[in-house]
Amino acid sequence: MHNGHNGEALAASPEEVTQDILRKHREFTPRFKALVAVLAVLFLLGVVGFIIRLQDGFEHRVKWGYYAAVVVYLLTTAQAAPMVAIAPRLAKANWRRPVSRAAEMFGVVGLFNLLLFIPLLFLLPSTEGRRTIWFDGPSMSPHIWDTLAMVFLVLCGLAMLWAGSLPDMAAARDHSSGRRQGLFAKLAMGWRGTDLQWFLIRHRIGALASLYFMFLVFTHFLIASDFVLGLVPGWKDSIFPAFQALSALQSSIATMLVTMFVLRKWCGYERYIGLEQFWALSKLLLATSLLWFYFWWSGFIIFWYGRQPVEQNVISLIISGPYLPIFFTTFILNFIIPLVLLIWNAVRRSILGPTVVGCSILVGTFFDRIRLYVSAFSIEDVTAHALTVVPPAHTPDIADILIIIGALSGAGLSYALATKVFPVVNIWEIKEYMLLRVQAAFHRMEVTILAKPE
Amino acid sequence: MARRSILGLFSDPDTTANAMDALRGAGYKDWELDILSGAPYPEGTFGEHMPSHHLFKFPLIGAACGLAVAILLTAGTQLAYPVVTGGKPILAIPAMAIICYEGTMLGAILFTVFGIIFESRLPRPRVGIYDKRITEGYIGIVVTSDETRVVQAEKTLKMAGAIEIKSGA
Repeated sequence: MHNGHNGEALAASPEEVTQDILRKHREFTPRFKALVAVLAVLFLLGVVGFIIRLQDGFEHRVKWGYYAAVVVYLLTTAQAAPMVAIAPRLAKANWRRPVSRAAEMFGVVGLFNLLLFIPLLFLLPSTEGRRTIWFDGPSMSPHIWDTLAMVFLVLCGLAMLWAGSLPDMAAARDHSSGRRQGLFAKLAMGWRGTDLQWFLIRHRIGALASLYFMFLVFTHFLIASDFVLGLVPGWKDSIFPAFQALSALQSSIATMLVTMFVLRKWCGYERYIGLEQFWALSKLLLATSLLWFYFWWSGFIIFWYGRQPVEQNVISLIISGPYLPIFFTTFILNFIIPLVLLIWNAVRRSILGPTVVGCSILVGTFFDRIRLYVSAFSIEDVTAHALTVVPPAHTPDIADILIIIGALSGAGLSYALATKVFPVVNIWEIKEYMLLRVQAAFHRMEVTILAKPE
Repeated sequence: MARRSILGLFSDPDTTANAMDALRGAGYKDWELDILSGAPYPEGTFGEHMPSHHLFKFPLIGAACGLAVAILLTAGTQLAYPVVTGGKPILAIPAMAIICYEGTMLGAILFTVFGIIFESRLPRPRVGIYDKRITEGYIGIVVTSDETRVVQAEKTLKMAGAIEIKSGA
């Protein structure tokens, strides 16, 4: 009955599923070791780039533009990825079960990104003498509230990951020995699987998931407002923060599609992650790609029609001026390619098609963050009344390139290491699905009957 | 009288449900019985009682506390240093809204994490009576009662088809 809909995994017994996932979880294959080694070396290169950048100090914000772009890129992609577990879980979509843990594990990348975020605080100017969302609040308001937002977003993501992993930590504890058993016993915190514990795990994840969603959008609102809008004099745009939050939702799906493809192709999880997951996410990806255009257009048309000098300069800064090639690249990768490919059923209902579109969006979003954050960081006088001179494009130097490579590798490294602590495929959610579903004959075909106890 | 726990291990859900019926028939109360399983069976599968919890109160209380602190902070500072800006009122809601929202969310998140740990009675330094086979698909019934009633429960569990009985403190 294997038809790409996780059929093979569901034909196995719950114990076989547990054993299989835990075996993959504890294996340190040569391929995994090589991956970790390569990512670690690239990350160290990034550290070198960061040290070079530090020599320049924090006086010239423009030099840190690419650093800011990559930090916000990780916020937009990796830290938004748990949404792929959250939204379908709240909607009780069963296809999310094999991929929910892989999405939640991006919470660990959030912890890494929180460290990267710290230097940005030294680059953010005081709010005195310029217009910000903080009105006449204390001059360090963005520094305090943005940091709190980032810290609590990471805390919420890690709490969601930990809370949802308790039963699998207990399974790992029961199927290991020695130091590993000690580690998992600590992480499982005495989990036994009582009816109260199962009852609570269902509800606690729902509560944390809702909070994460509400806080992710809010954090994007703060970061977009303080690190882009607030730095460009005269740019007043209520749609831009929402555009960035929407871009995060689009990128979260793209991140997960690529992650699922890697897990399926090279990590041995093809039994669990099948066509069903790719197909479901491709539909959401098409919808968010259309919304990407809608949000961008809504922001653009107001400035284009207004034609005030400052509005023309803002359009020149982020769209038609020095960053025009980057804007076109973004537009093609984030909207045209997803639209042209995903309108076809055959592409949506495949594994390779949505993955290719996911790659396109991840690259496009990276260029988009460069377009917005590097250009905003290029503005020298942030206290001016309006943007009168559009600065030229700031091209990356060797330190920027090393930082970008290091930050992306560090994110990958933290995720790879986390897969050896948390099983990357959610065991207990798959077992729950196996309990609730039955294969039965329906006239001349076989169908899956799913119990809905709630 | 000292209380003691025993664990009856069963290989399938039907036998477990029958054993729960037998224990209840023998006079054991819901609070004396607990089910251990490696997968989340739907609530009530074994005829067990619905556990009560206060998890939803934690985010609500946390949100209320966070909102109160945020209002106190924003309104308090503006009233302490009243400077009229652009003809706007001293206590302008748009200026306070962002901090109030963030304060509400921070309180809700903090209290939810605390509530999860508290309501789950975690961390437990000792796992308690348990069998590793639970995560292999076996189902356990834990009976915690007086010494004499535990002896009776052991007999009931055996008669109901328990494949093994384990004793705990």
